[in-house]
Amino acid sequence: MSANSQQVRKRDMTFASRTQTRIWQEIPSEENPYLAGQCRCHGYDILELAQKRSFADVLFLLFQGELPSPEQAKMLETLLIALINPGPRHPATRAAMNAAVSKTHIQHLLPIGLAVMGGAHLGGAEVLASMRFLDANLARQPVEVAAECLVAPQPAEGDFHPVPGFGSRFGGVDPLPGQTAALLVSLSASGRALAWGQGFAEALAPHGMGWLTSGVAAAALHDLGFSPWAGGGLFQLACAPGILAHGLELADKPITAMPFLDEEHYVIAAEARK
Amino acid sequence: MLSQPKRENNTSFWNERRGRMFSRKGGWIIGEAVYNHGYSMLDELAGHVSFFQVLSLNTVGRLVERRFADWLEALFICLSWPDSRVWCNQTGSLAGTMQVSPVAGVCAGILSSDSRMYGPGCMTAACDFIINALRQTGCGSSAEEIVGLCSMASPDTPPKVAGYARPVATGDERIDAMVRVGEMLGVTTGKHLVLAGEIEKFMKARWGETMNLAGYSAAVFADHGFSSQETYRLLSCWVNSGIHACYAEAADQPPESFFPLHCEDIDYQGKAARPVPACERS
Repeated sequence: MSANSQQVRKRDMTFASRTQTRIWQEIPSEENPYLAGQCRCHGYDILELAQKRSFADVLFLLFQGELPSPEQAKMLETLLIALINPGPRHPATRAAMNAAVSKTHIQHLLPIGLAVMGGAHLGGAEVLASMRFLDANLARQPVEVAAECLVAPQPAEGDFHPVPGFGSRFGGVDPLPGQTAALLVSLSASGRALAWGQGFAEALAPHGMGWLTSGVAAAALHDLGFSPWAGGGLFQLACAPGILAHGLELADKPITAMPFLDEEHYVIAAEARK
Repeated sequence: MLSQPKRENNTSFWNERRGRMFSRKGGWIIGEAVYNHGYSMLDELAGHVSFFQVLSLNTVGRLVERRFADWLEALFICLSWPDSRVWCNQTGSLAGTMQVSPVAGVCAGILSSDSRMYGPGCMTAACDFIINALRQTGCGSSAEEIVGLCSMASPDTPPKVAGYARPVATGDERIDAMVRVGEMLGVTTGKHLVLAGEIEKFMKARWGETMNLAGYSAAVFADHGFSSQETYRLLSCWVNSGIHACYAEAADQPPESFFPLHCEDIDYQGKAARPVPACERS
């Protein structure tokens, strides 16, 4: 290809002169236009919200524009607690712990862990995909969908997620997501997605698969009316406290507080060595 | 929920890996060497090959020719714009103005560039498009037919073809620069880039849109045998240099002095002020 002497021209596009938001209103203080004297979230004064409502209420408001019903608030709070800590074996938590023990600046621990919690395997990206999957399949019978997806070729090694949010973990059915789903289903705000997911998980069970944490979060967030795009990030947000807590626990410990494998346990393939 | 008969899980795959790490890439044998894909890194790579050759070795397991690595380096320069209006660069500036650490600021900017619109985030789509397009020509498809398979919002708007058109401007001056660099270095190109040019001719004649740098570089990477995933990985930090510039400039100024906004500079279009209802608990 020869040089094509590209003629570069600015597109005839109209960019907004001011960024728009329907979420947050900042009323400038009388003394300084850069400082807000009052902030409102979807019309509610933030300090009035702080006095009268729970964190879960305001979280719901922030993303959906209205305060939740008591039943919705209960379910969101239940979900947030169930997801609060992925645990010290989860790769996202371990990333924060590894960084902490190696004396990474404390303020980086959370973004490090959350980046790892954003992935397509059990992370925010899988929650998003799972919410889209649920949206597309709720009108169908779970057993019928399960039969279709089980036809797909399974990987020769490792776990199999026939659809986002459902599958095996470490070669088996992860029990806690199923228990969490059962708890959520018992709440009055649970809806079609959680019920559908229960049926789907039952259909997968004979094949050694079931709910995954990402699927439970997706179904609950779907029933609460959150969009798939919000769902992925809310999942990361829900898992954040545990990631940070485990990171901080290691932050003032010596580097010997976590394993650093010796040569016997760090196995370099022969072709990678001289 | 129906109870299922309990059966022991087969965890042998994970048992083999528990407590050990396996690497086909290399590692540090303390007191002996740092091995990297069969090379002693400090003896055979440092000072002997370029950083971009090592980047390719580490990323895709192949030590590319120096001239291709130099072409790759020029490609990184083409995304090193010190312009804070560019979205990922502005992330760097915003980090700088809040006195974030340079590592966090540049990482945040790089993460911003993992976009469906530009930067490394659009490379898998651009690579997949041209690789599949060449396969389609093997089945007799023309450039017009290949473009016709891409999604269109309406018959009057250009189809979304990965690697063609770009935000804000039409045309892409970086392609001329990279063609010049490629010719100077003797970097060969092949069928993918020829086809990319044919598709551009059709896109330009029909829609006035041209190839962008992602489309050009995707075709060159494909001509050199790189897969979509390999290309995406190689270009993960593609924008880092421009972010450095924007971060540093903002970090060197008083905090919050980069592009400050009045409250009124945000156009609130939401609900009017309303009282908070009392909380009812279920």
